[in-house]
Amino acid sequence: MLLAELGGAFLLASLALVALSAVAGVAAGRGDDVRLAAVGRRAFYAGGVGLAAASATLLVALLSRDFTIAYVFEHSDRSLSAPLTAAAFYGGQEGSLLYWALLLAAIGSVSLAAGAAASVRLTAYANAVLAGIIAFFLVVMVFVASPFALLPVTPADGLGLNPLLRDGGMLIHPPFLLAGYSAFAVPFAFAVAALLAGRQDAAWVAQTRRYALVAWGLQSVGLTLGMWWAYHVLGWGGYWGWDPVENAALMPWLATTAYIHSAQVQERRGTLRAWNYGLVIAAFLLSILGTFLVRSGILPSVHSFAVSPLGPWFFGFLVAAMVVSGAALARRSGQLRSPEPAEAAVSREGAFLLQNVLLVALTAAVLWGTLLPLLSGMTGRELVVGAPYYERAGAPIMLALLALLAIGPMLPWRRVQGGWLKLLRWQLGSAALALAGLLAGGVRQPGALVALPLVAAGLITCLVEYGRGAAFARRLAGPWPIAAARVLARNRRRYGAYLAHAGILVVAAGLIGSHVWQQSRQVTLRPGESVTVGSHTLTYQGMSAQNAGDHGELVARLRLGDETLEPARLTYPSLGGQALTRVAIRSTPLDDVYVVLAGADGSTVALTVFVNPLVTWIWVGGALLVAGVLLGNLVRAEPELERAPTPLGVAAAVR
Amino acid sequence: MRWSLKWLGLGAVIAACVGYLVVSATGSSAEYYQTVGEMRGHGGSSDVRVLGTVQNDVVRSDGGLHVRFTAAQDGQTMPVDYRGTVPDIFRPGIQVVVDGHMGSDGVFHARTLEAKCPSKFSSAQSQGTPTG
Repeated sequence: MLLAELGGAFLLASLALVALSAVAGVAAGRGDDVRLAAVGRRAFYAGGVGLAAASATLLVALLSRDFTIAYVFEHSDRSLSAPLTAAAFYGGQEGSLLYWALLLAAIGSVSLAAGAAASVRLTAYANAVLAGIIAFFLVVMVFVASPFALLPVTPADGLGLNPLLRDGGMLIHPPFLLAGYSAFAVPFAFAVAALLAGRQDAAWVAQTRRYALVAWGLQSVGLTLGMWWAYHVLGWGGYWGWDPVENAALMPWLATTAYIHSAQVQERRGTLRAWNYGLVIAAFLLSILGTFLVRSGILPSVHSFAVSPLGPWFFGFLVAAMVVSGAALARRSGQLRSPEPAEAAVSREGAFLLQNVLLVALTAAVLWGTLLPLLSGMTGRELVVGAPYYERAGAPIMLALLALLAIGPMLPWRRVQGGWLKLLRWQLGSAALALAGLLAGGVRQPGALVALPLVAAGLITCLVEYGRGAAFARRLAGPWPIAAARVLARNRRRYGAYLAHAGILVVAAGLIGSHVWQQSRQVTLRPGESVTVGSHTLTYQGMSAQNAGDHGELVARLRLGDETLEPARLTYPSLGGQALTRVAIRSTPLDDVYVVLAGADGSTVALTVFVNPLVTWIWVGGALLVAGVLLGNLVRAEPELERAPTPLGVAAAVR
Repeated sequence: MRWSLKWLGLGAVIAACVGYLVVSATGSSAEYYQTVGEMRGHGGSSDVRVLGTVQNDVVRSDGGLHVRFTAAQDGQTMPVDYRGTVPDIFRPGIQVVVDGHMGSDGVFHARTLEAKCPSKFSSAQSQGTPTG
């Protein structure tokens, strides 16, 4: 009871503070007033402290099992372990709003503190935008969906957590996705601020590059963990189903991927100004759109979301953000005319440009597929598209992007001197070699024959770049390992990027392999019988049943070589007999043997067996990608070596 | 400074290609999505996706890899026949989405069977599709 009132009071105090901060920010921006700007920032920090206090209160309520609070009742029970109970903080609707606002306040505070020294006006407007976004979340939490709402009667125990969600992957992937969304509000805020302030330089790009990368890294982790969870827990043999919920997370990631590349073109060449504003705004709006779609339940999804009053609120916020950022962009459009994007199409700029257009096209294709039920429902019968649509529309675009991963980094800025065939000799050679190897190995699927050589060529590109660095280090004084480490450290941004590229390529290899060569069989076996899928033979040995606390377990034993696989089926009587599959997976670098116990009849078992080639590489590639982001992003100052030649006189803007 | 025709032309070509991809992929793979009630009104033999609630007459055979049941919605019912892995949470009373076609025998033959997650699944921004 006391906790609920305390939490509510913290939220109200935060709302008052961020509202004050937003007003002070706008006033400081208009009047270029240093003192007011400081007031705005301090109010923002204080609002963040209020949010932290509210979050701490909710955590205490959860851990102390305060079932007077509806949120605690709905998302935990007495049998739930402490870590899972704590995770309920962001597990439910109201709590996830609080978590989102808290993260935004934290990362926003860092960006404002760092930006204040660089530019008063820009940062003051950014402060106003960030405070406005947090104010929206607080209004929703105070008036519509409070995490501290009380129940009329205090129940003895809570409703608990669905067993599907009692898993480590579930514990950590949503917070990463939400953190990614909230981090991307920072570039958005600085972009809108630059438009409001009428700044024409790329200061906002330079100031927010790191936040965009952080957001992108967090989103990448969230997506990878989400796939991992789906693959290991859900037991349908796959990791991505093109569900609206997944698309909602994918679209902002795609737009951010485009932006972190096009930002470099603006930093180096001073061009693509309006485009970059557009991308940053689009990425943020897509993350809000995703939240709206997910929360409103207006799309047919296998995830039925609790019908909540949040849908219209998020829709209103989406429209407001669209109108404000669109108007700001339109007002400045006359001043944003950029120089030619590139002198020659075959150049680094040209590759970035093509990559951007392709990523935007891919985002648009995913958006179209996601919104089709809504759009067709307005004009007649509701239409839906599934995986075949996304594969047909998306695969050619993804192949073109793979080719760019091989070619783009090799092209010099401005224009190619000499023949570009010579420039790409390693890539062409490795692709040809890979193709020959695949053909010799008996591969005939056109998808694999095109995509895997492209992956090989792309990996060669990354190796060539690392090789150049190593060769350069060899010419430096001192022992080679130390020289190499110095070259790496001085060019972290570049080598981080190529490591991330390698990660994406490795992920692509995993996606292609598991897509093209997946095999599956559904069988019923009596003890002693075997089934062969691909090159693997499984022998069913027997079954055992046991009782494990709140659920019963049925475990089948299968022999695979000298290993034993034990897929299981868990039944929860307390949840109306809900069953839960525990998949047995034997992973090797070559393939996964993935066994699902579908059912049992006496000692006869029904099994679904998948052989999923190369899946392990999806997780390895995801880890490489994140390592690349960490390597490239944990840079204090941009080192001298990396400063670009600035042909268009944008040196000041780069700084 | 105006962008030259070269860039606008390139952009137009790419946009046209992507537009063609999206339109053709939509045309070849879009299906109607409807409830059992709406399904009864339209009929037709093409593939459709149908939403309905599982009734109490579930018959499992083949160790659980074959199910027959009646799906109902809006006062209409439809017998469904499905072979394959059944989602964990499948049981009478839950909503399912089946993808397939209505056979001449009056039975809906489902290629896929997906369960709508229980509402508590809404907790957390869950990834992944709990499909069969």
